[in-house]
Amino acid sequence: MSFEANIKYDEVENLWVIQPEGDMDIYTSGDFKDNVIKLFEERESDLLFDGKCLDYIDSTGLGALIGILKRVNESNHKIYLSNIKPNIRKLFDITELDKLFIIRGEDNE
Amino acid sequence: MNKDSVLLTIPNKPDYISLVRLTSSSLCNKCKLNIDEIEDIKVSIAEACLNSLSLTDKDSINIEFNIDEEKLIIQVSGAVENIPDDLSEKKDRELGILIIKSLMDKVVFNEMGIEMIKFIE
Repeated sequence: MSFEANIKYDEVENLWVIQPEGDMDIYTSGDFKDNVIKLFEERESDLLFDGKCLDYIDSTGLGALIGILKRVNESNHKIYLSNIKPNIRKLFDITELDKLFIIRGEDNE
Repeated sequence: MNKDSVLLTIPNKPDYISLVRLTSSSLCNKCKLNIDEIEDIKVSIAEACLNSLSLTDKDSINIEFNIDEEKLIIQVSGAVENIPDDLSEKKDRELGILIIKSLMDKVVFNEMGIEMIKFIE
């Protein structure tokens, strides 16, 4: 039950690669959102969220992702999601957030 | 298995939601539910607690599990269906209710809070 996010810039693909690890919940989402937006504003580019180490997300975490998406869209950039685990993908389906983000490896890319 | 009840009272603070998730998972394990169902219940209970956390003025949140052979009934105090417009995290809480209604088999809001039912096959 912990959370950290590895964030680095991919010079080849020219985007931020963000790998959240653990539980993205009410306790951790606010700081995560602030950190990501701060980095984005230092260097504006597309973002890739790699979900392979993300175990859990709640509505607060989804809200944080929407907040980040709003800021990124303002600068005409995109957010890609990849390797999202099935239990988390299910929540994106229910809330129809799968339509707002670009999910890598699926039709809407 | 007889009808068993488990009561959990947590302080009205975000720090304790992870404890509720762990307890819910562990309890569901005893009910012959599969991994997907356990995940659905864990997520729903956490969302009900987040709702209560935002909207109740009480110092604590009561979570009651009632288990029998056919179903698991979970009640969470202080949760409400209609989120007030002036709540800053209104959109998050609405997502929470949508998630609960999608994942649980039956959801009823009453004067006490929310009651969620998962049938055990």
